[in-house]
Amino acid sequence: MGEEVMAAVPESVLKKQKREEEWELAKKQELAATKKKNAENRKLIFNRAKQYAKEYEEQGKQLVQLKREARLKGGFYVDPEAKLLFIIRIRGINAMHPKTRSILQLLRLRQIFNGVFLKVNKATVNMLHRVEPYVTFGYPNLKSVRELIYKRGFGKLNQQRIPLTDNSVIEQGLGKHGIICVEDLIHEIITVGPHFKEANNFLWPFQLKAPLGGLKKKRNHYVEGGDAGNRENYINELIRRMN
Amino acid sequence: MCRGGRMFAPTKTWRRWHRKVNVNQKRYAVVSAIAASSIPSLVMARGHRVESVPEMPLVISDSAESIEKTSTAIKVLKEIGAYPDAEKAKDSQAIRPGKGKMRNRRYISRKGPLIVYGTEGAKLVKAFRNIPGVEVANVERLNLLKLAPGGHLGRFVIWTKSAIEKLDSIYGSFEKCSEKKKGYVLPRSKMVNADLARIINSDEVQSVVKPIKKEIKRASLKKNPLKNLNVMLKLNPYAKTARRMALLAEAERVKSKKEKLDKKRKPVSKEELAAAKAAGKAWYKTMISDSDYTEFDNFTKWLGVSQ
Repeated sequence: MGEEVMAAVPESVLKKQKREEEWELAKKQELAATKKKNAENRKLIFNRAKQYAKEYEEQGKQLVQLKREARLKGGFYVDPEAKLLFIIRIRGINAMHPKTRSILQLLRLRQIFNGVFLKVNKATVNMLHRVEPYVTFGYPNLKSVRELIYKRGFGKLNQQRIPLTDNSVIEQGLGKHGIICVEDLIHEIITVGPHFKEANNFLWPFQLKAPLGGLKKKRNHYVEGGDAGNRENYINELIRRMN
Repeated sequence: MCRGGRMFAPTKTWRRWHRKVNVNQKRYAVVSAIAASSIPSLVMARGHRVESVPEMPLVISDSAESIEKTSTAIKVLKEIGAYPDAEKAKDSQAIRPGKGKMRNRRYISRKGPLIVYGTEGAKLVKAFRNIPGVEVANVERLNLLKLAPGGHLGRFVIWTKSAIEKLDSIYGSFEKCSEKKKGYVLPRSKMVNADLARIINSDEVQSVVKPIKKEIKRASLKKNPLKNLNVMLKLNPYAKTARRMALLAEAERVKSKKEKLDKKRKPVSKEELAAAKAAGKAWYKTMISDSDYTEFDNFTKWLGVSQ
């Protein structure tokens, strides 16, 4: 009898089959859509990276040209005051004054040899002044920023420290500010852009290794032959040794 | 002087022997024990030999209530398949290990079936009570210590017809109050439908369920893009052309430097040498001629310079 044969396959099994089909279809469609989007994004990222590379080259050339001009006239070219700082904590956590301790926490420097980028303004400069003996800072160049972010870049997603292994991580974190790839992020950091705060906060504080070759003398300021405080452009050399 | 003294905390007769238990909790326990006695797996788990029992719960007709002789009682047990359980109890009679021997608890044995009868003054009490392991109880006075000996649910119970029929009036049902126990209703279960598999596979649940995630992405090892080209390309597709251009530029530089050096190291031919010397002389002339130095004539005398 026809009815008996139908009853052999329980209705729940039929329903389950139908459901599974629908899910598979939806999954396939979603996959196709994301693939298309990814392909488009790739093109966009390539062009942006190219544009940035040109920009950086131009900037470098311009700087050299201005310096040569000034030298020719007999004067000096003074670089504009730096907008970006890289701070590294060089002292441990014991025996600290509570106020300086909380300032270092605000700067997200909770561990020795942690590094963060920082925008320069009156507020941050004054904060740095109070924690000078515990940190060393300076003006990073493009190579430093690139190497730090590529080698030791981790993003803060959902309160978790996720490695920047793919541009999708960055898109998830900073997509709403138009930053969708590593090059965008580096550009935002280096030219302290309009969304520097969000981009910087997205970056988890860098955990650097102890400097190869050592520090000179933690207890003294840089100008006295030690390591603490502002060492302007020499921070780049330290970053090479610590990255 | 004599030694000895008294024991620590001498035991007193006014020790608190009795415990108060809520009436509802006591009834809950009895009701659960009766329910458990009808589930063969629980009864077997408790240790009763019920393999040859035809049905659970086991109900026999009221004619059993008028049995007078123990020999017929044993025959009845054999007929209904309850004898292996009674036999087990008889075989297990032993002397208790331990100090209980000398504390008036000398003998132990297993528990056999519990016969529950309905009418008061039934003759079967006298017939069944001497069989080792077998116990008898009136439905209206069921003892929890007999329904769940040792705290373990699932005693093997043999009901008579009138006993089982009385249960409804004694304990009531889920809606109807009990007649004998004022205001008592059987306890409700936590889940009305305890068949989890059926609930999960029901339409109501499956219609809002999301698809199973078969491929779980786990965190892979982070590779350094500055060293690993493929990882770099994943992050920055422009890196390939940038590196290519850099390599080409480097090659170009190397080539032009080599050419320059080769040219310098090559021995200079006569014409080139003569041309270089002449150019040098002309250059010197331009250097020493100050055409816009007008005071020169005045100074030739004491400077001693010849043009």
